[in-house]
Amino acid sequence: MKRLGLIILAAAVVIAAAVAVFLFKPASLPDVSVAQAALPTGQALIDRGEYLARAADCVACHTTSGGKPYAGGLAFKLPFGTLYAPNITSDKETGIGDWSDAEFVRALHQGIDRQGHNLYPAFPYAAYARMTTEDALAIKAYLFSLPAVHADAPKNDLIFPFNQRYIMRFWNLLFVPGGALQPTASESAEWNRGAYLVEAMAHCGECHTPRNVFYALDSGKTFAGAELQGWKAYNISSDKRTGIGNWTDEQLFDYLSKGHAEGRGSPTGSMGEAVDYSLRHLTPEDIKAIVAYVKTVPPQVSSDQAIVEAEPATLKASIAYAPSGDAAAQGGLGLKLFQGACASCHGWNGEGLQTPYAALRGSRTVNDPDGTNLIQVILKGAHMTTATGAQAMPAFANAYSNVEIAALGNYVLAHFGGRQSAITPADVAKARTQ
Amino acid sequence: MIALNVNGEDRSVDVPEDMPLLWVLRDVIGLTGTKFGCGIAQCGACTVQLDGQPVRSCVLPVASVGTRRVTTVEAIGATAGGKKVQQAWLDLEVIQCGYCQSGQIMSASALLERNPDPSDSDIDAAMSGNICRCGTYTRIRAAIKQAAKA
Repeated sequence: MKRLGLIILAAAVVIAAAVAVFLFKPASLPDVSVAQAALPTGQALIDRGEYLARAADCVACHTTSGGKPYAGGLAFKLPFGTLYAPNITSDKETGIGDWSDAEFVRALHQGIDRQGHNLYPAFPYAAYARMTTEDALAIKAYLFSLPAVHADAPKNDLIFPFNQRYIMRFWNLLFVPGGALQPTASESAEWNRGAYLVEAMAHCGECHTPRNVFYALDSGKTFAGAELQGWKAYNISSDKRTGIGNWTDEQLFDYLSKGHAEGRGSPTGSMGEAVDYSLRHLTPEDIKAIVAYVKTVPPQVSSDQAIVEAEPATLKASIAYAPSGDAAAQGGLGLKLFQGACASCHGWNGEGLQTPYAALRGSRTVNDPDGTNLIQVILKGAHMTTATGAQAMPAFANAYSNVEIAALGNYVLAHFGGRQSAITPADVAKARTQ
Repeated sequence: MIALNVNGEDRSVDVPEDMPLLWVLRDVIGLTGTKFGCGIAQCGACTVQLDGQPVRSCVLPVASVGTRRVTTVEAIGATAGGKKVQQAWLDLEVIQCGYCQSGQIMSASALLERNPDPSDSDIDAAMSGNICRCGTYTRIRAAIKQAAKA
C-alpha cells in the first residue's frame, strides 16, 4: 500500500514537472535563413510587404481611430477583460524596432513576443500561422520601412487566470496549426490562392466563425456567423438561405472590392473597415480567388434570421421620392425620422438616391429582425473610400434619443426588409455601450 | 482635371476628386446660388440635381458625378417644371430669409418631375430632408400643389 502511494506520488511529480517544462521552457526561435535568401531586397521587398500587410489587414487593429498607422492602442473588450493592440512600428522602445526576423516570424506563427512571452489570440496568429515565412518577412520589411512612432499602448486589463500568459501554451497546443497552408492538389491554382488569402491572410474566420468554450474558432462551424463587440459578422458559408450561397460571383466581387454590390447593400462596421483598409487594395485576380474559395466553404445553416427578402412589397410600391400612399398615411415616429434624416440619401425604393452606396435593397442589415448592425450603423455612421471619392454616412448617436433610434430601426426593417421587428430603446441603450 | 456638365455647359475643373461638388460649384465655378448648410446631408440647402435627381452636393465627391448632368438653381427656371415651381414660389411668397430656398426649389421640381400630382404625404416624404429655419413649410406645400396644377 505504501509502495503504491509512492508510485502515485512519483507519477504526480513527473507529470507536474512535465507540465512545468511545457509551460515555462523558454521558446526557441525558428530558422528563417532559407526564407531570407529566397526574398527580393530593397523596394521590391517593401512593395510586396505593403500588399501583404494590406491583405492581412494589420492596420485595422493596430491603429486607433484618428491615430497614427500601426502605432497600436485599439481596445478589444472581451468577456475576460480588455486587451490593447501593441505598437508595431519600428520604434525601438515602444514598438518592434529591435525585433529580429526570427522573432517577428515566431510572433506571427506562434504568438510569442520578443521576450518569449505568449501573446493573446485577439492577435490572429492562429490564422497567420498558415502564412509562409517569406510573406511574414516581407510584411516585417514593410513595417520597418514606415516612420517609427513612439507610443506606448495601454496595459492589458485581464482578470485571473487569463492574465497569466503562459496558459496560452495549452491553447496553442490545441488550436494553432503548424506550418504554412499547403495547396490542395485537387483544386485549381485560383482556389488555392483564395484559400491562402482567406485563411492565412484576411483571417475572415476570426469574425465570421463562432467560437467554442475555449474562445477558439469552432472548426465545425466555419463561417457560420458570430456576434462580437456589438456587431454581427454574418454567415458567409455557402448556405443559400442564411449564408452567401445565393450571391452571384459578381456580387461577391463588387462587395469585397468596391464596398457595394447591386442588390446586396454595402458593408459597414468592421466589414466596412476590412474592405476600406484591406480588400479594395487587392488585385482583381486575388479578389476573384477569394470569391472562388469562399463559395466552396461547406454550407452552415445558422439560426440567424437576417435572411434577405429581395423584393419586399413595401419597396415595390415605392418610388425614389416616396413610399406608397397607404404606407405614408400610416405615419409614425419612425417614418417621420426617416423622411427627415435618411430619405434624401437612401431614397424610398431601396436603390439609393444620393449614391449607389446608399442603396439598402437586399442588405442583410435591413433584413435582420434583431436590428443589431442597423442600430450600430445609425449610431456610428459608415465610411467607404471608393474609386470616385469617399462616401460617408454621419453618426446619429448624438442626434437622436434611444426611443427615436428604436422607432427608426423598426421602421427601416419594415420598409426595406418587410420585417416585423421589436427593437426597444433598451436595445439602443445597450448598443451605445458596445 | 475633371469634366463636368453644369447647367448645360461642359466644363473642366482642376480640383481634387474628393472635393464635394458644392465647393466646386460655389468656389471654383462661381455659382453661389447653391448654399452650404450643415455639410452632412441633413439640411438640404445644398441640393442640386444630377440628371434630374436631387442630391446633396455637400457630401458628393465631384469625381462621383461622372457623366451625369448637373443642374443648379441658376438654371432650373429653364426647365418647364422648374419655371412653374419658381412662379408658384413667387405667387405665394414662400420665401422668408431665403437661405434654404434654392434647395427647396431643387427638391420640389425633382418631385414634380416624377410625381405630377403629389399628396401631402408624398410632399412630406420627398421634402422633409429640406429644413427651413423660418418655418415656411406650409407655404412650400401649398406652392408645390399650385405648381402641380399650373
